[in-house]
Amino acid sequence: MGRNFKVSYREDMALLQNQGQKTWLMILVLMLIVVPLFLTRYQLSILNEMSIAIIGALGLNLLIGYTGQLSLAHGAFVAIGAYSSGIITGKLGLPFLVSLPLSGLIAASLGLIIGIPSLRLKGLYLALGTLAFGFVIEYILQHWDFTQGDLGMAIKQISIFNWTIKSQLQYFYLYVSLAFGAVVVTNNLVRSKIGRSFLAIRDRDVAAEAMGISTTKYKVMAFALSAFYAGLAGCLAAHFNRWIVPGSFDISLTISAIAMIIVGGLGTVLGSVLGAILITGIPHIITYFIDVLKGSYPALSGFIVDFKLGIFGLVIIATLLFEPRGLYGIYQRIKVYWKTWPFKY
Amino acid sequence: MERAIDILFSGLSMGSIYALVALGFVLIFKSTGILNFAQGELCMIGAFVCYYFATKLGIPYILAFLAAIGIGSVTGALIDLLLFRKLVGQPIHSTILVTIGLASILVALSGLIWGHDTYAIQSPFIGKTLVAGGMVFSQASVATIIVSVFLFGFFILFFKRSMLGIALMGTAEDSDTAGLMGINVKKMRMFAWILGAFVASVAGIFLAEQSFVHAGMSHVGIKAMSAAILGGMQSIGGAIIGGIIVGLIESLAASFLTGLEIGGFHFGDVKDVTAFVIMILVLMIRPHGIFGKKEVERV
Repeated sequence: MGRNFKVSYREDMALLQNQGQKTWLMILVLMLIVVPLFLTRYQLSILNEMSIAIIGALGLNLLIGYTGQLSLAHGAFVAIGAYSSGIITGKLGLPFLVSLPLSGLIAASLGLIIGIPSLRLKGLYLALGTLAFGFVIEYILQHWDFTQGDLGMAIKQISIFNWTIKSQLQYFYLYVSLAFGAVVVTNNLVRSKIGRSFLAIRDRDVAAEAMGISTTKYKVMAFALSAFYAGLAGCLAAHFNRWIVPGSFDISLTISAIAMIIVGGLGTVLGSVLGAILITGIPHIITYFIDVLKGSYPALSGFIVDFKLGIFGLVIIATLLFEPRGLYGIYQRIKVYWKTWPFKY
Repeated sequence: MERAIDILFSGLSMGSIYALVALGFVLIFKSTGILNFAQGELCMIGAFVCYYFATKLGIPYILAFLAAIGIGSVTGALIDLLLFRKLVGQPIHSTILVTIGLASILVALSGLIWGHDTYAIQSPFIGKTLVAGGMVFSQASVATIIVSVFLFGFFILFFKRSMLGIALMGTAEDSDTAGLMGINVKKMRMFAWILGAFVASVAGIFLAEQSFVHAGMSHVGIKAMSAAILGGMQSIGGAIIGGIIVGLIESLAASFLTGLEIGGFHFGDVKDVTAFVIMILVLMIRPHGIFGKKEVERV
């Protein structure tokens, strides 16, 4: 047993607080390296989708969960990331290693532009403004020759120096390490001055300003950061699917991203990860069950889209009504229960 | 001249639908503080139910119309009873997200029941036209405008003259004080939802008369939000005027911009995006709208 008390600031600030966390992290990393070797291509592709979703959800949670700015434009930023990377690698012929950060930065600079009017808008007005922005972006993508409209755009394979990514396993190692990196960066970010300022603005922006936090600076920063994550996710998704059309970045993408962070837990990093995994998994679970039941009810397969949408809606509403802290809240409750077991407190 | 009348007429008929939907937004927002993202989905449900009764079951149109409005209103009451009664006092973002979830559920339900095809309502107006002064107008659009004007007049009188309307206004103004004055605040909130769903169903049915019934028609809800924002979220008259302005601008934009091409950018389906551009402009210049009151925040 280690010490129960922290004796230095260094220990208090450590990312991993105790030996147990370090051990579990090691086990997780080992599993992420070994387990995929035994998975099928389909299972790996689900895990890859989840990694992309985790990056997107982390970004949205920074904005909605940590800073309290309700934005409905996340899908648009993902689209901007995807199209930027498509244009940078396809039309300009630059390598993936350049286009990945660049597509994040392009999305972030548009996030800055959206962030500035957001200073005047709050709550529902902000939600409406960002929603309108999302629709305008979708319209532009559809009607501009440069983005090839509804025809869509083919995306090149990822090649890093001479290493070209072809199999799902290669995608997995790249995407999971990027998602892992995003989690670590976010974890560090939210416990720094920036993250604490975000929290202060969420809880009461007038009070935060009175405490000397520049709400202008941090609100715009939150928008830009969130758009940066979205841009990265868009870039990764584009290179993963190898084909992008404006329709795949519509309002339903934003809704599923919001579902992720609500179900996972607003304002928590772990929550974003859990929510992204669950919400990405749900359609595959539905598809699985419909495949099983197709023998007896062949009509079911036409309803996958509706089931998916309906279950998203139900999950959002049920979480907000019954467990507003989401999966993270459930996790905390279970943890406390076992820590104090067999006592109540 | 003919083109001008054409633009004006199509703008007015679409604008009155936006105005009806925006009226629903404002009614619900004023009394409950909830911005209902599922308003367009309520329109869609109204239109689908009307289609089901009139075309599928062959019930006379007027009965199908009334039944659709009735079912729409009951849906509104159920939404309040099952969801929002439990969410009173919750922060604004969680109520918005619940309405977004509700919208997904309504779209999914209509997809499961009626599928994703496009249908036409068997109505007495379909395909009929009205000739006046050498111009041809569709009867469905004329009916939309007449019924909307009637409903606007009714609602303005209702909120000015009837006890119920005044009680509703009082609840909107200050629900605590209204409760102390003996107004049943819970009932008033439910009533606001019923009225909101009622106007949404009417708007949905008339929208279906002008075009068709399909799942994508719920889009009208989001467009009508720009009408509500333009008029000011607090003002019933504002919603009506905002709706008509948005309809007219949309009609103008569609008439003048469609087919233009600037630097590889093709303006097509301008109607899909005009309302959102208006919304962004209003939010940047005057977020509280034409008739709304500026919100003052106190610490």
